[in-house]
Amino acid sequence: MIIYSAIRVVKFAVQNIWRNLGLSFMTVTILIVTLLSFNVFLAMSVMTRFAVATVKEKIDAGIYFSPEATDQQVQEVQEFLRTFPEVKSLTLKTRVEVLTAFREKHKNNPDILASLDELGENPLGPTIVVSTFEPGQYTAVLGALNTPELQKIIEGKTFDNNQGFIERLQLITKRVEQFMLGVSALFIVIAFLIIFNTIRVAIYTQREEISIKKLVGASNGFIRAPFLLNGVMYTVVSIGVAAGIIFASLGFLDGYIQTVFNAGFSLTEYFRSHWLVFLYQALGVLLLTWLSSGLAMRKYLRA
Amino acid sequence: MLYYSRMITIKGVSKLYTDGTVGLKNIHLQIEAGEFASIVGRSGSGKTTLAKLLIAEESPTRGTIEIGGWNISRIRQRDIPLLRRQIGVVFQDFKLLPSRTVFENIAFALQVAGAPPAHIRRVVPQLLEIVTLEDKAHKYPVQLSGGEQQRVVIARALVHRPKIIVADEPTGNLDAINTDEVIEILKRINRFGTTVLLVTHNRDIVNRLGKRVIVLEDGEVVSDVKHGKYRL
Repeated sequence: MIIYSAIRVVKFAVQNIWRNLGLSFMTVTILIVTLLSFNVFLAMSVMTRFAVATVKEKIDAGIYFSPEATDQQVQEVQEFLRTFPEVKSLTLKTRVEVLTAFREKHKNNPDILASLDELGENPLGPTIVVSTFEPGQYTAVLGALNTPELQKIIEGKTFDNNQGFIERLQLITKRVEQFMLGVSALFIVIAFLIIFNTIRVAIYTQREEISIKKLVGASNGFIRAPFLLNGVMYTVVSIGVAAGIIFASLGFLDGYIQTVFNAGFSLTEYFRSHWLVFLYQALGVLLLTWLSSGLAMRKYLRA
Repeated sequence: MLYYSRMITIKGVSKLYTDGTVGLKNIHLQIEAGEFASIVGRSGSGKTTLAKLLIAEESPTRGTIEIGGWNISRIRQRDIPLLRRQIGVVFQDFKLLPSRTVFENIAFALQVAGAPPAHIRRVVPQLLEIVTLEDKAHKYPVQLSGGEQQRVVIARALVHRPKIIVADEPTGNLDAINTDEVIEILKRINRFGTTVLLVTHNRDIVNRLGKRVIVLEDGEVVSDVKHGKYRL
């Protein structure tokens, strides 16, 4: 008996879609558009985070010592900096390395190279390149070097030049994330209202059939089941189509994205490795359609 | 299935609506198994309210209703389908599914109850024979006359072999010839032992039946005669 009822539930669910093909198409289309929009936001968010992380990765601070600073003094500063938990890495460039890098940088400028040769000796001191975990931590770390004793051997710190950029970047990142959060929330509310209304119309067109089913002794569960199954069908189709469109688009766009971010970042790879995102979205869509169906059917299922 | 000598027992039933309208006032009725009773009265006298209470479409404000010994006054939501499979219902407006054939409309009532396809294939032709619509099995409701549509409804009401048929104005939309056909079918069903409760305001039918007549007026039973005539 249960097996016959199950088969009939599937049959009625397919009939619901077939008889309301226009409405079913509209519901699935709205779901696909919602999913696509959500995934565009998701991709944008991932790209922004990657961009911020890349820029953060490239930010470091240089501590330039005077040529008179001894190896012992430089070593002590290095040890001192290592005691900070904020410090991610320290790289020491010796005077020779700094000079080589300087010559390489200015190899096309014969005037500078001639001036260096004229001096006869290396005018540049060693440099320590510091990276912290967060850009905001540079101020504290470098501030600790502002002692009269160290100022005698430190000629300059380049971080000050980057501080404004880092602050702007952090502000932009924060604003973008807030905007995305707001837009996503608004979009989910709009999508819920549209889908709820579409499903309500679909059920309204079948109110006569629902009342007849009740009249001839169908249980509420038997009446509700085809609509819930429709929810599953809508979810599977919309997620499938949306995922297909997303991967097809990314296959096309990934080349351009990689040009901007250089190699090492692929949205296709991100969505492949984070396939659970689609599962969560499917559960969200299913919940949305079931909730809409439940609310829309409630009044027709009363005795 | 319901097997009980007193098929319907209504004790002190009143129905008051939230807007203050009184549907029924302190009704006491007892209908025996196999009886054919007509409930008559003017519009608004409470006839349809009584029919709705019997199929638990509404619940009484006061009093108890027993169907075959089963108190349905405060029936649980999940038990309503079981009750409706034991009471055949026929309405004036047919309530047939336009997109399904005659066969499918009758089969529908068996499908929702989980009947096996073989049972459906066996029972539906038998019911079509009872209402003499064997040749219309594959027609759609719109291709049938009003009387034929009502006979389909009666066939559908019989699918679960109910002990009670509640017919609420079944001839309201029919001409004289079709009315006679429908009443003949109801009488035939009654002869098989099914209790028939006919809600009508058709004087001719009631007078020709010569069966029990219960008269309602302003929600009250004002007359209940074993072999009565229509009188208001």
